[in-house]
Amino acid sequence: MNVQEYILSGIVESYVLGLSGTEERAEFERMCAAHAEVRAARDAFERTLEKQLLSNAVAPPSNLKSKIIADIEIENEKRQGKKVVSLKQSPIVQAGWLRYVAAAAVILLVGSTILNFYFFTQYKQYISKYNELLATETQMASANQKLQTKLQEYDAMMSIMKDTAMAIVKMPANPGGPVPGIQTTVYWNTTSKDVYLLVNNLPTPTPGKQYQLWAIVDGKPVDAGIFDMQAGPMKMKNIPSAQAFAITLEPKGGSATPTMPIYVMGKTSS
Amino acid sequence: MGITETYTEQELIDALKERDNLAYGYLYDNYSGALYSIILQIVQDSELASDILQEVFINIWRKIETYDPTKGRLFTWMLNIARNASIDTLRSKGYQNSQKNQGLPENVNMTSQVTQTNIDNIGLTKILAKLKPEHRVLIELAYFKGYTHEEIAQIEDIPLGTVKTRIRNALLQLKEYMQ
Repeated sequence: MNVQEYILSGIVESYVLGLSGTEERAEFERMCAAHAEVRAARDAFERTLEKQLLSNAVAPPSNLKSKIIADIEIENEKRQGKKVVSLKQSPIVQAGWLRYVAAAAVILLVGSTILNFYFFTQYKQYISKYNELLATETQMASANQKLQTKLQEYDAMMSIMKDTAMAIVKMPANPGGPVPGIQTTVYWNTTSKDVYLLVNNLPTPTPGKQYQLWAIVDGKPVDAGIFDMQAGPMKMKNIPSAQAFAITLEPKGGSATPTMPIYVMGKTSS
Repeated sequence: MGITETYTEQELIDALKERDNLAYGYLYDNYSGALYSIILQIVQDSELASDILQEVFINIWRKIETYDPTKGRLFTWMLNIARNASIDTLRSKGYQNSQKNQGLPENVNMTSQVTQTNIDNIGLTKILAKLKPEHRVLIELAYFKGYTHEEIAQIEDIPLGTVKTRIRNALLQLKEYMQ
């Protein structure tokens, strides 16, 4: 049987209409693959059949299309539900999502860098200001400490001065002395025999010199201590008894016996 | 029903494989009538035919990847799905039982007569009527009832070779009438 006879045998129609058995089908498909004429004959009959059936179509019930579309949509959802996770949508969705996250991250990073720089500058300024404040505070504390100490000293001195046993010995300028109009005062506790000296008015000693207080006991001078110029009363040496107090200017460190002249002098009441 | 040329066959196939709903709408609008006609001629029951057509379109949607253009046109593929679905329904136990439960013979005759008059005027049946009776019965058994050549040889009590020859000749004749 040649190809033309094969085509005219009715196999084409049998195959297209689905009436051929397995063997016939396989043979026909081989012939189609091998011979363009067989393919052309098949295609021609298919078109004829299609045209015939389309022109004799019977409209199905009008609501059927919407039922089928609804079914297909359900199938579509099932299909996508199955594939979304593994294949199609999720990588795309993830990529899109990641792009926004990346963009946001870059913006945040830039923003953060700028803010970091700004805050670091601010921080440095504040550190410097803080250090200044700290220094000021230390200075003030130190000044306060000094004041406190001084105040305590005055307090202590005041309580000493208030003591009823305290005798006051005014020491005016020595009438024949080197500086007129000057004065000191000795506060002498008659009970404890402690001696305090207040400089009311004395010229500042020349360099290398210091004033020295003397107690005159039975006509002889007894060293009561050297002193520097201070605003408040100064504690001197304990003097058990004296008839008078006098001050001379001595070489720095004091002398064993007074160098004349006497600057100021005052007699005790005893 | 004419086909609006909005898709070439290849474009339509590609769109269907993409599960494009518009393409399925187009497919339904253009081919549902021809397929419904064939299903109706096989099962001879419009309600049943409607159910089968629905199933057929879902199957086309599900199986579109298995369609091989080298083995024939899309319509031929769909036509065979529709025919196979119809014959499977005829042969299914459920259908056989429902036929048995139909009740009195008078009723059966009446319904089949009514259906018959409708079917006679459509599609292949109309052309089939032009065939010689010995040809027509073989085509009805083979194409509309889905019997194999061997089964037909038994039913008609004629040799298998004769069945094959007559069917081939009947098909060639049918083709002539179609053109």
